[in-house]
Amino acid sequence: MIEAIQFASFSEFLNMGGYAFNVWAVYGLFVIFIFANLLAPRIRRKSIMKEQYRRIVLSEESDASKSD
Amino acid sequence: MWLWFSKLGSPKWFYELSEKWLPWLIGAMVIFLTIGVVWALLYLPPDYQQGYTSRILVVHVAVAGTSLAFFPLMAIAGTITLVWKMKLADMVAKNAAPLGAWFSFITLATGSIWGSASWGTWWEWSDSRLVSMLFQFFLLLGVISLRSALDNSETASKACALLSIVGCINVVVIKYSVEWWNTLHQPASPINLDSGSANGPEFWVATAIMIIAVYLFFTVSLILSTRNEILQREKRSQWVSDIVKKQHAQARS
Repeated sequence: MIEAIQFASFSEFLNMGGYAFNVWAVYGLFVIFIFANLLAPRIRRKSIMKEQYRRIVLSEESDASKSD
Repeated sequence: MWLWFSKLGSPKWFYELSEKWLPWLIGAMVIFLTIGVVWALLYLPPDYQQGYTSRILVVHVAVAGTSLAFFPLMAIAGTITLVWKMKLADMVAKNAAPLGAWFSFITLATGSIWGSASWGTWWEWSDSRLVSMLFQFFLLLGVISLRSALDNSETASKACALLSIVGCINVVVIKYSVEWWNTLHQPASPINLDSGSANGPEFWVATAIMIIAVYLFFTVSLILSTRNEILQREKRSQWVSDIVKKQHAQARS
Protein backbone atom coordinates (compact mmCIF):
# COMPACT_ATOMS: atom_id res chain seq x y z
CA MET A 1 0.00 0.00 0.00
CA ILE A 2 2.68 2.48 1.08
CA GLU A 3 4.99 1.76 -1.88
CA ALA A 4 2.19 2.42 -4.35
CA ILE A 5 1.75 6.02 -3.14
CA GLN A 6 2.93 8.35 -5.87
CA PHE A 7 4.71 10.80 -3.56
CA ALA A 8 7.91 10.57 -1.57
CA SER A 9 7.16 13.47 0.78
CA PHE A 10 4.24 15.47 2.08
CA SER A 11 5.31 18.65 0.29
CA GLU A 12 5.47 16.71 -2.96
CA PHE A 13 1.92 15.55 -2.27
CA LEU A 14 0.76 19.13 -1.68
CA ASN A 15 2.49 20.30 -4.85
CA MET A 16 0.65 17.79 -7.11
CA GLY A 17 3.31 17.92 -9.79
CA GLY A 18 2.96 21.68 -10.15
CA TYR A 19 -0.84 21.66 -10.40
CA ALA A 20 -1.47 22.30 -6.71
CA PHE A 21 -3.99 25.08 -7.30
CA ASN A 22 -6.09 23.18 -9.84
CA VAL A 23 -6.15 19.83 -8.09
CA TRP A 24 -6.78 21.19 -4.59
CA ALA A 25 -9.37 23.70 -5.77
CA VAL A 26 -11.36 20.90 -7.39
CA TYR A 27 -11.15 18.55 -4.39
CA GLY A 28 -11.95 21.45 -2.04
CA LEU A 29 -15.04 22.30 -4.07
CA PHE A 30 -16.02 18.64 -4.14
CA VAL A 31 -15.84 18.37 -0.34
CA ILE A 32 -17.86 21.59 0.13
CA PHE A 33 -20.42 20.31 -2.38
CA ILE A 34 -20.83 16.98 -0.54
CA PHE A 35 -21.03 18.48 2.95
CA ALA A 36 -23.36 21.32 1.96
CA ASN A 37 -25.87 18.94 0.42
CA LEU A 38 -25.84 16.54 3.36
CA LEU A 39 -25.81 19.11 6.18
CA ALA A 40 -28.46 21.43 4.71
CA PRO A 41 -31.23 18.78 4.85
CA ARG A 42 -30.19 17.87 8.41
CA ILE A 43 -30.37 21.48 9.60
CA ARG A 44 -33.69 21.90 7.80
CA ARG A 45 -35.02 18.76 9.50
CA LYS A 46 -34.17 20.13 12.93
CA SER A 47 -35.95 23.41 12.25
CA ILE A 48 -39.01 21.57 10.87
CA MET A 49 -39.15 19.42 14.00
CA LYS A 50 -38.92 22.48 16.27
CA GLU A 51 -41.51 24.44 14.32
CA GLN A 52 -43.96 21.55 14.21
CA TYR A 53 -43.58 20.68 17.85
CA ARG A 54 -44.49 24.28 18.70
CA ARG A 55 -47.52 24.04 16.41
CA ILE A 56 -48.67 20.75 17.96
CA VAL A 57 -48.35 22.15 21.51
CA LEU A 58 -50.28 25.28 20.53
CA SER A 59 -53.07 23.34 18.85
CA GLU A 60 -53.36 20.95 21.81
CA GLU A 61 -53.58 23.92 24.18
CA SER A 62 -56.34 25.54 22.13
CA ASP A 63 -58.18 22.19 21.94
CA ALA A 64 -57.98 21.89 25.71
CA SER A 65 -59.30 25.40 26.28
CA LYS A 66 -62.18 24.74 23.87
CA SER A 67 -63.31 21.63 25.72
CA ASP A 68 -63.30 23.45 29.08
CA MET B 1 -49.58 -4.23 -8.93
CA TRP B 2 -51.92 -1.28 -8.37
CA LEU B 3 -51.92 -1.80 -4.66
CA TRP B 4 -48.15 -1.80 -4.67
CA PHE B 5 -48.10 1.31 -6.83
CA SER B 6 -50.42 3.28 -4.59
CA LYS B 7 -48.47 2.14 -1.55
CA LEU B 8 -45.25 3.32 -3.15
CA GLY B 9 -46.82 6.70 -3.70
CA SER B 10 -47.80 7.00 -0.06
CA PRO B 11 -45.45 9.46 1.67
CA LYS B 12 -45.75 7.56 4.95
CA TRP B 13 -44.67 4.31 3.34
CA PHE B 14 -41.66 6.01 1.71
CA TYR B 15 -40.73 7.76 4.95
CA GLU B 16 -40.67 4.49 6.87
CA LEU B 17 -38.88 2.51 4.17
CA SER B 18 -36.20 5.18 3.67
CA GLU B 19 -35.61 5.14 7.42
CA LYS B 20 -34.43 1.54 7.04
CA TRP B 21 -32.38 2.21 3.90
CA LEU B 22 -30.58 5.35 5.02
CA PRO B 23 -27.98 3.82 7.38
CA TRP B 24 -26.89 1.37 4.66
CA LEU B 25 -26.81 3.99 1.93
CA ILE B 26 -24.87 6.43 4.12
CA GLY B 27 -22.41 3.69 5.14
CA ALA B 28 -21.80 2.67 1.53
CA MET B 29 -21.47 6.32 0.50
CA VAL B 30 -18.82 7.04 3.14
CA ILE B 31 -16.84 3.92 2.18
CA PHE B 32 -16.91 4.62 -1.56
CA LEU B 33 -16.17 8.34 -1.15
CA THR B 34 -13.20 7.61 1.11
CA ILE B 35 -11.74 4.96 -1.17
CA GLY B 36 -12.40 7.09 -4.24
CA VAL B 37 -10.76 10.26 -2.91
CA VAL B 38 -7.78 8.53 -1.26
CA TRP B 39 -7.12 6.44 -4.35
CA ALA B 40 -7.39 9.42 -6.67
CA LEU B 41 -5.18 11.70 -4.59
CA LEU B 42 -2.50 9.25 -3.46
CA TYR B 43 -2.28 6.34 -5.86
CA LEU B 44 -3.38 7.48 -9.28
CA PRO B 45 -0.30 7.71 -11.52
CA PRO B 46 0.21 10.98 -13.41
CA ASP B 47 -0.92 11.07 -17.02
CA TYR B 48 1.99 11.42 -19.46
CA GLN B 49 0.43 14.54 -21.00
CA GLN B 50 -1.80 15.98 -18.27
CA GLY B 51 0.33 15.18 -15.23
CA TYR B 52 -1.68 15.23 -12.02
CA THR B 53 -4.52 17.27 -13.51
CA SER B 54 -5.96 13.90 -14.60
CA ARG B 55 -6.98 13.54 -10.95
CA ILE B 56 -9.45 16.38 -11.47
CA LEU B 57 -11.19 14.30 -14.11
CA VAL B 58 -12.05 11.57 -11.60
CA VAL B 59 -14.30 14.07 -9.79
CA HIS B 60 -15.39 15.90 -12.93
CA VAL B 61 -16.48 12.79 -14.86
CA ALA B 62 -18.38 11.35 -11.87
CA VAL B 63 -20.26 14.58 -11.10
CA ALA B 64 -20.92 15.40 -14.76
CA GLY B 65 -22.23 11.92 -15.52
CA THR B 66 -24.58 12.03 -12.53
CA SER B 67 -25.78 15.53 -13.44
CA LEU B 68 -27.28 14.07 -16.63
CA ALA B 69 -29.61 11.89 -14.53
CA PHE B 70 -31.57 14.84 -13.14
CA PHE B 71 -33.74 15.78 -16.11
CA PRO B 72 -34.72 12.18 -16.93
CA LEU B 73 -35.52 11.62 -13.22
CA MET B 74 -37.57 14.81 -13.01
CA ALA B 75 -39.31 13.94 -16.28
CA ILE B 76 -40.30 10.46 -15.02
CA ALA B 77 -41.44 11.90 -11.68
CA GLY B 78 -43.27 14.65 -13.58
CA THR B 79 -45.04 12.16 -15.82
CA ILE B 80 -46.17 10.19 -12.78
CA THR B 81 -47.41 13.45 -11.25
CA LEU B 82 -49.30 14.41 -14.40
CA VAL B 83 -50.87 11.01 -15.04
CA TRP B 84 -51.46 9.54 -11.57
CA LYS B 85 -51.19 12.69 -9.40
CA MET B 86 -48.85 10.87 -7.06
CA LYS B 87 -47.76 13.24 -4.29
CA LEU B 88 -44.46 11.52 -3.62
CA ALA B 89 -43.30 11.85 -7.23
CA ASP B 90 -43.83 15.60 -7.11
CA MET B 91 -41.90 15.87 -3.85
CA VAL B 92 -38.95 14.03 -5.41
CA ALA B 93 -39.08 16.24 -8.51
CA LYS B 94 -39.21 19.40 -6.42
CA ASN B 95 -36.15 18.47 -4.36
CA ALA B 96 -34.19 17.12 -7.31
CA ALA B 97 -34.05 20.52 -9.04
CA PRO B 98 -31.81 22.41 -6.55
CA LEU B 99 -29.52 19.38 -6.15
CA GLY B 100 -29.28 19.14 -9.95
CA ALA B 101 -28.32 22.81 -10.12
CA TRP B 102 -25.51 22.09 -7.63
CA PHE B 103 -24.34 19.13 -9.73
CA SER B 104 -24.34 21.20 -12.92
CA PHE B 105 -22.48 24.03 -11.23
CA ILE B 106 -19.79 21.70 -9.83
CA THR B 107 -19.45 20.09 -13.28
CA LEU B 108 -18.87 23.51 -14.85
CA ALA B 109 -16.49 24.67 -12.10
CA THR B 110 -14.33 21.52 -12.01
CA GLY B 111 -14.25 21.39 -15.82
CA SER B 112 -13.21 25.01 -15.95
CA ILE B 113 -10.40 24.51 -13.42
CA TRP B 114 -9.18 21.50 -15.38
CA GLY B 115 -9.45 23.42 -18.66
CA SER B 116 -7.38 26.31 -17.34
CA ALA B 117 -4.49 23.89 -16.82
CA SER B 118 -4.96 21.58 -19.79
CA TRP B 119 -6.53 23.69 -22.54
CA GLY B 120 -5.10 26.98 -21.33
CA THR B 121 -8.57 28.52 -21.13
CA TRP B 122 -11.27 28.64 -18.44
CA TRP B 123 -14.18 28.89 -20.83
CA GLU B 124 -14.92 28.55 -24.54
CA TRP B 125 -18.24 29.88 -25.82
CA SER B 126 -17.93 28.00 -29.11
CA ASP B 127 -17.75 24.62 -27.37
CA SER B 128 -21.09 22.82 -27.54
CA ARG B 129 -20.46 20.59 -24.51
CA LEU B 130 -19.63 23.55 -22.28
CA VAL B 131 -22.52 25.68 -23.49
CA SER B 132 -25.12 22.88 -23.31
CA MET B 133 -24.05 22.10 -19.74
CA LEU B 134 -24.36 25.79 -18.85
CA PHE B 135 -27.81 25.66 -20.43
CA GLN B 136 -28.73 22.72 -18.19
CA PHE B 137 -27.66 24.77 -15.15
CA PHE B 138 -29.91 27.66 -16.24
CA LEU B 139 -32.78 25.30 -17.08
CA LEU B 140 -32.64 23.90 -13.55
CA LEU B 141 -32.63 27.42 -12.10
CA GLY B 142 -35.64 27.99 -14.37
CA VAL B 143 -37.45 24.95 -12.94
CA ILE B 144 -36.76 26.16 -9.37
CA SER B 145 -38.00 29.69 -10.03
CA LEU B 146 -41.02 28.43 -11.99
CA ARG B 147 -42.13 26.45 -8.96
CA SER B 148 -41.71 29.34 -6.57
CA ALA B 149 -43.28 31.83 -8.99
CA LEU B 150 -46.60 29.98 -9.31
CA ASP B 151 -48.81 30.35 -6.25
CA ASN B 152 -51.01 27.35 -6.95
CA SER B 153 -48.89 24.36 -6.05
CA GLU B 154 -50.76 22.02 -8.37
CA THR B 155 -50.26 24.31 -11.37
CA ALA B 156 -46.62 24.72 -10.35
CA SER B 157 -45.94 20.99 -10.26
CA LYS B 158 -47.65 20.50 -13.63
CA ALA B 159 -45.63 23.31 -15.23
CA CYS B 160 -42.38 21.96 -13.75
CA ALA B 161 -43.23 18.46 -14.97
CA LEU B 162 -43.66 19.77 -18.53
CA LEU B 163 -40.45 21.80 -18.40
CA SER B 164 -38.58 18.74 -17.09
CA ILE B 165 -39.84 16.59 -19.95
CA VAL B 166 -38.78 19.22 -22.51
CA GLY B 167 -35.45 19.62 -20.69
CA CYS B 168 -34.56 16.02 -21.49
CA ILE B 169 -33.82 17.12 -25.07
CA ASN B 170 -30.89 19.10 -23.73
CA VAL B 171 -29.52 16.01 -21.97
CA VAL B 172 -29.30 14.29 -25.35
CA VAL B 173 -27.55 17.37 -26.75
CA ILE B 174 -25.03 17.35 -23.87
CA LYS B 175 -24.39 13.63 -24.30
CA TYR B 176 -23.75 13.70 -28.05
CA SER B 177 -22.38 17.25 -28.35
CA VAL B 178 -18.80 15.98 -28.47
CA GLU B 179 -19.63 13.65 -31.34
CA TRP B 180 -21.94 15.89 -33.35
CA TRP B 181 -19.69 18.94 -33.27
CA ASN B 182 -15.96 18.82 -33.32
CA THR B 183 -14.98 21.15 -30.51
CA LEU B 184 -12.55 21.66 -27.69
CA HIS B 185 -14.12 19.20 -25.23
CA GLN B 186 -12.81 15.70 -25.89
CA PRO B 187 -15.21 12.77 -26.36
CA ALA B 188 -15.33 10.08 -23.69
CA SER B 189 -12.20 7.97 -23.92
CA PRO B 190 -12.74 4.27 -24.51
CA ILE B 191 -11.44 2.02 -21.76
CA ASN B 192 -7.86 1.10 -22.42
CA LEU B 193 -6.53 -1.85 -20.49
CA ASP B 194 -2.93 -1.09 -21.35
CA SER B 195 -1.51 0.04 -18.02
CA GLY B 196 0.91 2.65 -19.30
CA SER B 197 -1.65 4.68 -21.24
CA ALA B 198 -3.40 7.92 -20.42
CA ASN B 199 -6.75 6.24 -19.87
CA GLY B 200 -5.39 3.09 -18.32
CA PRO B 201 -7.13 0.76 -15.89
CA GLU B 202 -6.05 2.67 -12.76
CA PHE B 203 -7.87 5.74 -13.98
CA TRP B 204 -10.99 3.83 -14.92
CA VAL B 205 -11.22 1.93 -11.66
CA ALA B 206 -10.78 5.16 -9.68
CA THR B 207 -13.45 6.85 -11.81
CA ALA B 208 -15.84 3.90 -11.49
CA ILE B 209 -15.51 3.98 -7.69
CA MET B 210 -16.10 7.73 -7.71
CA ILE B 211 -19.16 7.37 -9.97
CA ILE B 212 -20.70 4.87 -7.52
CA ALA B 213 -19.80 7.20 -4.62
CA VAL B 214 -21.37 10.24 -6.28
CA TYR B 215 -24.53 8.30 -7.20
CA LEU B 216 -24.86 7.15 -3.58
CA PHE B 217 -24.38 10.73 -2.39
CA PHE B 218 -27.03 11.91 -4.85
CA THR B 219 -29.46 9.25 -3.55
CA VAL B 220 -28.79 10.04 0.12
CA SER B 221 -29.12 13.80 -0.31
CA LEU B 222 -32.32 13.46 -2.33
CA ILE B 223 -33.86 11.06 0.21
CA LEU B 224 -32.99 13.42 3.09
CA SER B 225 -34.59 16.45 1.45
CA THR B 226 -37.62 14.44 0.26
CA ARG B 227 -38.18 13.26 3.85
CA ASN B 228 -38.17 16.89 4.98
CA GLU B 229 -40.70 17.69 2.29
CA ILE B 230 -42.92 14.83 3.51
CA LEU B 231 -42.77 16.09 7.11
CA GLN B 232 -43.82 19.53 5.91
CA ARG B 233 -46.60 18.54 3.54
CA GLU B 234 -48.07 15.87 5.81
CA LYS B 235 -47.79 17.91 9.00
CA ARG B 236 -51.53 17.69 9.69
CA SER B 237 -51.51 13.90 9.77
CA GLN B 238 -51.34 11.91 12.98
CA TRP B 239 -48.27 9.86 12.07
CA VAL B 240 -46.16 13.00 11.49
CA SER B 241 -47.30 14.43 14.84
CA ASP B 242 -46.22 11.19 16.49
CA ILE B 243 -42.76 11.41 14.89
CA VAL B 244 -42.37 15.05 15.94
CA LYS B 245 -43.34 14.25 19.54
CA LYS B 246 -41.04 11.24 19.66
CA GLN B 247 -38.16 13.29 18.25
CA HIS B 248 -38.79 15.99 20.85
CA ALA B 249 -38.79 13.47 23.69
CA GLN B 250 -35.52 11.98 22.42
CA ALA B 251 -33.89 15.38 22.14
CA ARG B 252 -34.91 16.15 25.71
CA SER B 253 -33.58 12.97 27.27
